[in-house]
Amino acid sequence: MLFTYKSLWGKKPRLKSSYEVVIIGGGLHGLATAYYLARDHGITDVAIVEKRYIGFGGAGRNTAIVRANQRTQYNVPLYKEALDLWPVLTKELDFNLMFNNCGNLNLMHSEAAMKAARMTIATAQFHGVESHLIDAKQAKEMVPALNISEDITFPIHGAMYHPPGGIVRHDAVVWGLAKGCAKKGVHIHQQTEATAIHTQGGKIAGVTTSQGHIKTPKVLVSAGGYSAGVINHMLGLKLPISVLTIQAMVTQPLKPLLNHVVSSGAYHCYANQTLKGEIATGAHMDPWPNYTTQTTAHYIKHQAEALSDWLPCLRGVRFMRIWGGLADMTPDMAPILEGNDPIGGFYMDCGWGYFGFKSCSAAGKYMAQFIATENCPDMLKPFNLRRYEKHQLMGETAALVSYTPDN
Amino acid sequence: MKRLRQFPTLHIDTNETRSLKYRGKSLQGFAGDTVATALYANGIRIFSRSLKYHRPRGLYNLDGESSNTCMEVDGVPNVRTENTLLKDGMVVKAQNVKGSVDHDLMAFIDKLDWLMPAGFYYKTMHKPAAVWPVAMKAIRKAAGVGTISADYKVKGRYDEIFLTADVCVIGGGAAGMMAALTAAESGVRVIVLESRPHLGGCWDYRTGAYKENKPLFARARELAGQVENTSNIRVFKQTSMVGAYNNNLITAFQVGKSNDAFTERYVEIRSKSVVVATGCIERPLIFENNERPGVMQVACAHRLARSYGLLPGEAAVFSIGHDLGLEAALDLFDLGLKIRCVADIREDGHDAGLLAALAERKIPVLKGWVAAKAHGCKQVTKVTLATLDGTVKRHIPCDLLVASAGHTPVNGPLILAQTNIAYDNHSGFFLPKKLPEKMFSAGWMTGRSHPQAIEASGQVAGLKALAAIGVTDKTAVFAAEKEAAALPGIDRGCKLVTAPVKGRKSFICFDEDTTIKNIKQAIDMGFDVPELIKRFTSAGTGPGQGGIPGHNLPLFVSKYTASASKPMPTAVRPPLVPTLLATYAGAHHHMFKRTPLHASQKKGGGIFRNIGVWQRARYFSSDFDCKDEILNVRNNVGLLDSSTLGKFRIFGPDALKALQRLYVSDMSKLKQGRIKYSAMCNDDGCVIDDGIVIKRGDNDYYVTTSSGRAGNTVEWFRYHTRYDGWQYHMVNLTDAMGVINISGPNARKVLKKIADADISNNAFPFAGYREFTVKNTIPVRAMRLGFVGELSFELHVPSSYMQSVWDMLMAAGAEFNIKNFGLEAQNVLRMEKGHIILGQESEQRTNLLDLGLGFLWDRKKTAAKTVGAVALRQAENDPGRFKLVGIRMQDDARAPRDGALIVDTHVRGYVATARKSFTTGEAVGMALVESQLSKPGSRLEIYEDECNEIRLQARVVPMPFYDPDGQRMKM
Repeated sequence: MLFTYKSLWGKKPRLKSSYEVVIIGGGLHGLATAYYLARDHGITDVAIVEKRYIGFGGAGRNTAIVRANQRTQYNVPLYKEALDLWPVLTKELDFNLMFNNCGNLNLMHSEAAMKAARMTIATAQFHGVESHLIDAKQAKEMVPALNISEDITFPIHGAMYHPPGGIVRHDAVVWGLAKGCAKKGVHIHQQTEATAIHTQGGKIAGVTTSQGHIKTPKVLVSAGGYSAGVINHMLGLKLPISVLTIQAMVTQPLKPLLNHVVSSGAYHCYANQTLKGEIATGAHMDPWPNYTTQTTAHYIKHQAEALSDWLPCLRGVRFMRIWGGLADMTPDMAPILEGNDPIGGFYMDCGWGYFGFKSCSAAGKYMAQFIATENCPDMLKPFNLRRYEKHQLMGETAALVSYTPDN
Repeated sequence: MKRLRQFPTLHIDTNETRSLKYRGKSLQGFAGDTVATALYANGIRIFSRSLKYHRPRGLYNLDGESSNTCMEVDGVPNVRTENTLLKDGMVVKAQNVKGSVDHDLMAFIDKLDWLMPAGFYYKTMHKPAAVWPVAMKAIRKAAGVGTISADYKVKGRYDEIFLTADVCVIGGGAAGMMAALTAAESGVRVIVLESRPHLGGCWDYRTGAYKENKPLFARARELAGQVENTSNIRVFKQTSMVGAYNNNLITAFQVGKSNDAFTERYVEIRSKSVVVATGCIERPLIFENNERPGVMQVACAHRLARSYGLLPGEAAVFSIGHDLGLEAALDLFDLGLKIRCVADIREDGHDAGLLAALAERKIPVLKGWVAAKAHGCKQVTKVTLATLDGTVKRHIPCDLLVASAGHTPVNGPLILAQTNIAYDNHSGFFLPKKLPEKMFSAGWMTGRSHPQAIEASGQVAGLKALAAIGVTDKTAVFAAEKEAAALPGIDRGCKLVTAPVKGRKSFICFDEDTTIKNIKQAIDMGFDVPELIKRFTSAGTGPGQGGIPGHNLPLFVSKYTASASKPMPTAVRPPLVPTLLATYAGAHHHMFKRTPLHASQKKGGGIFRNIGVWQRARYFSSDFDCKDEILNVRNNVGLLDSSTLGKFRIFGPDALKALQRLYVSDMSKLKQGRIKYSAMCNDDGCVIDDGIVIKRGDNDYYVTTSSGRAGNTVEWFRYHTRYDGWQYHMVNLTDAMGVINISGPNARKVLKKIADADISNNAFPFAGYREFTVKNTIPVRAMRLGFVGELSFELHVPSSYMQSVWDMLMAAGAEFNIKNFGLEAQNVLRMEKGHIILGQESEQRTNLLDLGLGFLWDRKKTAAKTVGAVALRQAENDPGRFKLVGIRMQDDARAPRDGALIVDTHVRGYVATARKSFTTGEAVGMALVESQLSKPGSRLEIYEDECNEIRLQARVVPMPFYDPDGQRMKM
C-alpha cells in the first residue's frame, strides 16, 4: 500500500513511575533533545510531558523562517549547524520537513543599518556562511514587488542577502521529530501537565505530573514561553526573561509572488510566502510582558501600513488570519542553555525569544550531549546563565536597550 | 435568465442596468445585483476551480463563506463576488483555472485523489533529496488561488474612522434592530453594523408570517425604517465586523457606496457595551459531491429568488434538516420552481402548517432521508437520496439540489472577545458558557427562531447593554426577561454530521478540498484533536477560514473518535472576514517630526533621512564624503541644526538627588555658568545616554539628552526614583526649543554681530554657559562645546524664534561664506576628535569604562544610589570586555568600512567608525576590541565583508586624531 494510516507516534504510552530523563515541554526543543538523546547517546528511557498537545506553543505559531546570519560569533555556528540539519533530518526522520531554501533578504533603510549589515555579513563570511550586501536595485531585481522609491517612510538603501536561509514547515518538524522520538522508544505524554519538580540534596529527584509522579535524576525544562514561569514556580529560580506576546498573520493564499524571505528592521516587519501561497508576515511584540497571546487591533493595522509602503501590491490582498504566541526575551536576545547549575541534574533550554524555531535542531543536539555527558559542550558554553550576573551581555542585539519597569 | 419582477422583497432595480466583462463578453446585471448574482443571471454556473482537484465550483451560499465564488475583480484577487455589489465596467476573472473554467485542463487531478491523502506531502517528495526542489516548485505553482501582479497599484480611496459609542450592535437583523431601538430609547449613542447593503437579516426575504397578515419581510422593513429614522442610531451598512478586542474595541470595514468619498474604510469603535446579534449561517450537509455546481444552501436558493428575482433552477430536490428548508421549498414552489421532493433528515418535529402546505401542493416529503450523492460532472443532473442508515436509496433527476444540515450560530464576534463556547446537545449549537463583561448576544444565534422570541431577546439584550453601562437599572431587564421566557425557547437542532457515505468525495472544507476520508486518515495517524487535524489536513485554513468546516469538523471528530467528551470547537481568529491591506492601512500615515528649520534646511540643499522620530539633514551636497562641509568647519564657519537633541528642565527641591541617581558624575559640584558633560548608565553599567547638565539656579537644572533618548527620559527618571517620594518636576522642552550649532574658527566673529553680550573668550570661555538675548528680544541659552573640535557655540532658542536666529546668523556670516553642515560632516568631525556617538561607538553591552569614559564616574557618591555604579564596580577588573580604541591604518590610502571585523582566528572586535581624514590625511577610526588588543601599538587585522580573506592592517593609536591638546575648541 502506498500510504498507511497508522499513528505517527504509536499508541499512547503509559506513564511509568521512573525515567532516566524527563523533559517538560513537547515543543521543538524538547522533542529535538529527546530525539538526539536517543539517537546519539542511546538514552531512550525519556518522557516528554506536554500540558496540551505537541507543538501547541511557539512550535506551531512561529512563521517558520530559518537563517544563520546572527550578529555574534557565538551564535552563527550554532544556527549554521541548525540550518545544515534540515535536509539531514528530513532524510533521517523520513518525513518531509519541506525546507524551502529560498534565501533571506534583510532590507536596510539607513546608513547606520548598512554599517550594521556589513558587520553581520563580515561575521557570516568569516564563519563560512554565505551572505552579501546588495543595493536597492539588486534587491528589486530579486523581489520585483519591492518599492525602492525615495518617497516611502523608510526608503530602501540596500539589503543583506543570505542565500542559505529560507522557510521550513514548522508543524512538519514537530510531527517528524515526534515520530522519530516515538520510534526510538521515547514516551510522549500529551495532555500531561508537570506540576512540581522535586529536588533532594541539591539534586533533581522527580517530577509530579497531572497523571502521576515520576522519579528521575534529570529534568530538562524546554517549555518555550512558559519556561521561565515553570522554573521560577517549581524551583524558585528567577531568570532574566520577559515574556511577551508576539503576533503574526497571513494573507489569503496567492500564486507565487515572493520568492524570498524579506524583512525590514525599520518597518518591524517580515514577509514570506508559504508553500500554500499565503504571505506570512509579522514581527511586532507587545511593549509590555504578558502571557495573553492575544492579538491587537493596532498591530494588524500597523502591519498593513508597513507592507503598503514597501510591498505596495499587497494592498490588493487580504489578511485572513492573525494569531499570537509567546517570545521569552532575555536582555541580550540570546538564549539560556544551562545545566547542573545551581541544581544537579537540572537543565534549562529557554530564552530563545523569537529564535526558537530556527535553532531547535542544533540546540536539541547539543542539549542532548549536555544531558548525556553532564558536561557542557563548547558550542553551548557562551549561553550560560551566569553571564548576566557578570554584566557580560552577548551582543546579539546592538541596539541600546532601555530597561524599563517591564524588563 | 428571466428575472422575476415586482416583489416587495427585491433588492435589484431592473430599470438600471450594470455591465461587467467576463471571458471577453459584456454581461448585463442590474443595480443591486452582486457580481455573483449577475453572473448567475447570465447562466454562469461554474465560478472557479478548486484548489487541489480543480473541481468545478459554483454558487453555494450568498455570504462568502467559501472561496467557491471568489474571483479576480479589476486585478484584485479573491474578491467575494457574493458580497460585492456590481459596479459598471467591472472586469471579472475566474481563479485557479488552467484552460477555461468550463474545461479545466487540470481536472484530471480529481481522479488522482488516492495519491493525495491527508498530509501526503509530508510523506512524499523527499526521497531522493534532489526531487524536493523540483516538486516544491510544482507545489508552489499549484498552491494559492488568486494572483496579484507585483506592480499592482491599488485604485480608489481608502480611509479610516475612529468612533465611540454607548452601545454597538453587531448585526442588523430583527434582534439587532430591536436591541438598537431599545437602547436608543434612553437617548444613548447607538451604532449598528450590518454586513449586507440593507438591514433585515434573514427576515428580509422571508414570506413566513410574523403576525397574521404581516409577513416577516414586512416587519423587517418596518423595523429598518424605525432604526434609520432614529437620530441617535448610526447605521453602518456593508460593514463587516472583523475584530473584537479588550474593553469592547470593535473593528470593522465598510464598503463605500458609489457616492461615498471612500472605496473602503477601516472602522474602529470603542463602545461601552456591545450586543452581538449575528444570527446563523447554515451548516453544510456532507455527502458525495456536496459542492457540485447546482448544490446550494437553502438561504442561497431562497434569496436568489426573493432578493434578486432569480429562480435558481428548473427542478429541485431539497435535502434539509430544519423548518426553514420546508418554508423555502414552499415559497420557491409558489414562485415557479418544480420541486421533485423534500428529503428531511428529521423524523419528527416539523412545523405542521408547513407540512400541510407542502402536502396541499403535492410536494412529497421524505422523513428520515438525506442526499447521499450528487451526480453530474459539471452540474447536478441527478441526486441519490438515502435513508439515514443508507440501506434504501432512490435516484431523482434534477438540476438543483438545495442542501443544508442545520444551522450554526455566527459566534465569531463572541469568541474574539474571549468567550468560551461549548457544545449544546439540545440545539446542536456551540453556545457561550459565559459572556464577557458588557457584551450580550441576541436573536437566532442564541438558538431561538420564533419571531417574537427573536425580538424579545433583542429587547432584553438592549436593556442589558443599558444596565451594564449604568443608564438604567436592572428592573427593566428582569421584566423583559420574564416576558421573553414565556415565548418559545431554544429549538432542537438537527445533529446529523454526514450522510451515510464513505466520504471520498464528501467535502468538509471546500477551500482546501478536504474530504471526510482525509479527516479519518488524519485521525488514524494520531491527530486526535480538531486543532491538530486542522493543521494536518488544512481544513479551515483556506481563504474562507472556518466558514464551511468550522462546525462540522468538531462534530465529525467527536463522532469518529467516539470520544466521550463533547465536540471541541477550533480556534476562530481575526479578521472574521478577510480584509484588504489597503483598508487596514487606511489613510496611510507617514509621520515624522520636523525641526523648526526644516524648510530652510531643505532650501539649503539638505538631503534628508528619517532618523528615529525625526527627519534630519544628513548631507548638504551629493558628495556623501562631505569634504567641503568638513573643511568649511575646520577652516571657516558652519551651521548645524541640532534641534532634535532632547532638552529638559528638571527642578524642585529634590532635583539634585534625582540627577545624582541617574547620572554617573557628581552633580553637587555643578557651578552656574558652566556646563557639565556626563552620562547615564543602566543597571549593567552600560551607557544609555550622554549629554550636558547645566545648573541655571537653585534647584533648577537644564539637561540635554541624545535625540534617540528624548522620548524615554522622563520615564527613566520616574522609574528610578519611584519609591523615593522626591519633590521634583521634569518638563520636556525638546520641541519647545531648537538648537543651532555654529562651529569653526570664525564662529565668534559671526555670532558677535547678533548677540547682545560679550562673547569673547574671556567673558565666555570654553565649557561656559551664558544666557543672553539677540536683538534685545530673543532669549538664547548658549554653551561652548567642543564636539566637532573647533570653536563652537550651541544656541538653544525657542522654536518660534529659530528661523529668525538662523537667518540672522546666515546674514551675519555671509561675508565669511558661512555654510550649512549636516550630520555626516558632524560625524566625521567628532570622530577625528575621538568623541563618541552612542549607538555608533557603543552597543547594548558597552559600559562606561569600555568607552574610556570612566573619568565621568564619581566613585565617592554612594554607589548603590547611582544607577549602574554597582555593575561598574563589578566589571571594573573584568578582562573579558571590549574597549574603545583609536586605530590608524597601516596604509592611509583608505579607511576600512564601518562594521568591518577585527579578527585573528576569532572575531576580536569591530570598526565602529572610520574615515580617511581630510584634515590630517590619515585613515583613522574608532573600534571596539577585546581588552588584550587595546594597548597602543597593538596590531589589528581587519576583515571586511567580501574581502576574500585579504585582511587590512592597522594598529591601535591614541586619540584624538586631531588637535590632541584641544587648543582649537578653546580659542
